[in-house]
Amino acid sequence: MLQVDQLTRRFGEVTAVDHVSFTVPDGLLVGFVGGNGAGKTTTMRMIMGVLGISDGEVRWNDAPVTAAERRTFGYMPEERGLYPKQPVVDQLVYLGQLQGLSAGEARSSADLLLDRFGLGGRAKDKLESLSLGNQQRVQVIAAVIARPRLLVLDEPFSGLDPQAVDDMVELLREFTRDGVPVLFSSHQLDLVERLCDRIVILSRGRVVADGAADDLRHSGPVRHRLVTGGDVGWVRDLGWLQVVDVAGDRAIVQLAAPQDTDRLLAEAMRRGSVRELAELVPSVADIYREVTA
Amino acid sequence: MTTGSVWRIVAAREIAVKLRDRNFLVSTGLMLVLIIVGLGIQVFLGGKSQTKTVAVASPAASSIVTQSGKTADAAGSDLELKAKTVASTQAVDQAVKDGKADAGLVPQGKGWRLIGKSSRNTELATYVGQTVSTQAIARNAAAAGTSLDALQQGAKLQYDLLQPKGDDNTTEARVSAVAFGFLFYLAALLFGMAIANSVVEEKQNRIVEIIASAIPLRQLLIGKVVGNTVLAIAQVGLLAVVAVGGLVVTDNAGLLSTIAGGIGWFLPFFLIGFLALASLWAVVGALATRMEDVQSTSAPMTSLVMAIFLGGILATGGLLKILSFVPLFSTIAMPARVVSGDASWWEPLASLGIAAVGAYYILRMAERMYRSSLMQTSRKLSFRQALAESD
Repeated sequence: MLQVDQLTRRFGEVTAVDHVSFTVPDGLLVGFVGGNGAGKTTTMRMIMGVLGISDGEVRWNDAPVTAAERRTFGYMPEERGLYPKQPVVDQLVYLGQLQGLSAGEARSSADLLLDRFGLGGRAKDKLESLSLGNQQRVQVIAAVIARPRLLVLDEPFSGLDPQAVDDMVELLREFTRDGVPVLFSSHQLDLVERLCDRIVILSRGRVVADGAADDLRHSGPVRHRLVTGGDVGWVRDLGWLQVVDVAGDRAIVQLAAPQDTDRLLAEAMRRGSVRELAELVPSVADIYREVTA
Repeated sequence: MTTGSVWRIVAAREIAVKLRDRNFLVSTGLMLVLIIVGLGIQVFLGGKSQTKTVAVASPAASSIVTQSGKTADAAGSDLELKAKTVASTQAVDQAVKDGKADAGLVPQGKGWRLIGKSSRNTELATYVGQTVSTQAIARNAAAAGTSLDALQQGAKLQYDLLQPKGDDNTTEARVSAVAFGFLFYLAALLFGMAIANSVVEEKQNRIVEIIASAIPLRQLLIGKVVGNTVLAIAQVGLLAVVAVGGLVVTDNAGLLSTIAGGIGWFLPFFLIGFLALASLWAVVGALATRMEDVQSTSAPMTSLVMAIFLGGILATGGLLKILSFVPLFSTIAMPARVVSGDASWWEPLASLGIAAVGAYYILRMAERMYRSSLMQTSRKLSFRQALAESD
């Protein structure tokens, strides 16, 4: 389990990351969401020990993380980079060795992963001769080659075609099934919503929301849409609910308590026919807009 | 492998990549060819002894030619004489005219006549002249009832040198100091640039983030410095072996014994000097953010390497003595002094110790600058800024 505890990074006068705390429990996929400059990459670089920490600490299984433990973490930096002029498999073996594998282990792991991503035939090619999408696949392999105990991926899905996204998702799930905690950042909120067990939203260096996607969506006020057989303007006269929008036979209202749903339905049926009464669950994108506004 | 020895993986990769780099292989091959060609030219020039054929028409002339050859050989001359007997005096003239003989020797009156074609050969004239005159004096002495030895009594002059190798030694020492210095200069620049480029390549590609997340930066630096130092020593060693082998093969073993002490000292100085410079070259790469920046961030280093080279070969007297104890500068200056024979036995040892201590502190300082600048990807830094940010 990765614990980020009051992590802070200042660049001169600017505080890029301001007492950020969250956890990535074993076997869970945690999405790290935030606008440009929110501090996601800075936080991830501090977790990986690539950037100095101004304040706070990174903990691994309830103790401050050590250099040896960090070596077992897999990392995919925001700005991609490998050796363009070197054969694909050579650099994977090298990076595998740096992460603690023997040359033989690194070699077989690289071959296995290259095959899996359909790059088995390109192992000896120079990286720069691969398409950008395939280079991205190699980058992913570089992050997971040593079977890491934690995965930290900065924008792993950017630049991937739909097939590669599915491959990537399958790979991440494989890791979480083995109990590996995975933290990844993304701008693709729909993807985050679909994949993640937990979501951490960062805004201007601070955590503004943190929790399971479902909990987050239900954390705000719950709204309902009511569609009736006739004009629905009468909802404005009800004192116990808040009208968000009314247009002809449709109204969006915000109820104070769950049991008010029945009350509204009874009221509407008393006045005529009811075509629809539905709960409107906000998407992660809605939540994101709300908390970062 | 623990994180404390992971530099070996880095060093192994540096070496493997370099050994597959065509530029490196070609430049090494080119240097070898240069040395071999240089030795070949020397063999060609040095080995070509001067053989002159002298046409003669009588046994007496033939004997004079043979005797002259012996005299020349005894005097250490390259001149070798061969008598070519022809039928008559006219035939002698003809042989010289046709170029079949370099010269001709025929009797004339009571003396002899040496015939050349279009130019006079001074050496030939000297040794043949000496033989002719000795034979004539011996003959005349016998006629006068005395002997050649009696006539020559008291006429003997022995010419001894107090420092037989004196002047030549200085020349050879200077030449070998320049050769050492140039080798170091070349290795420091070529490998230095290669180190800087390999550092900035990783920085520009951001692969350094992945590496830095896996291993301590110090290990990365050590690996790079060690890998390239091993390569540099191997390359210089290869060149030295070929050069030394060449000297032995071409009968220049004498020169070898003169500079052997220098080579012996040059290697440890080279090793320590190169280690220190290599770490600074890594900083040159770390200061840059793109390949193009290396041009400007390397300027202080190219000047330093140039100063070390020029200081080592141009300085004399007191200045040379001082430089031979200054770390980095001693790399060339001290072996140069050893070769020229003006260093006491303890001086290179002391200087090497100082150089080692200096190299240690340079490495420490370089590590600080390397760490502080390697992750600074937004802008190019200077040495001073890197040092300031590391505090």
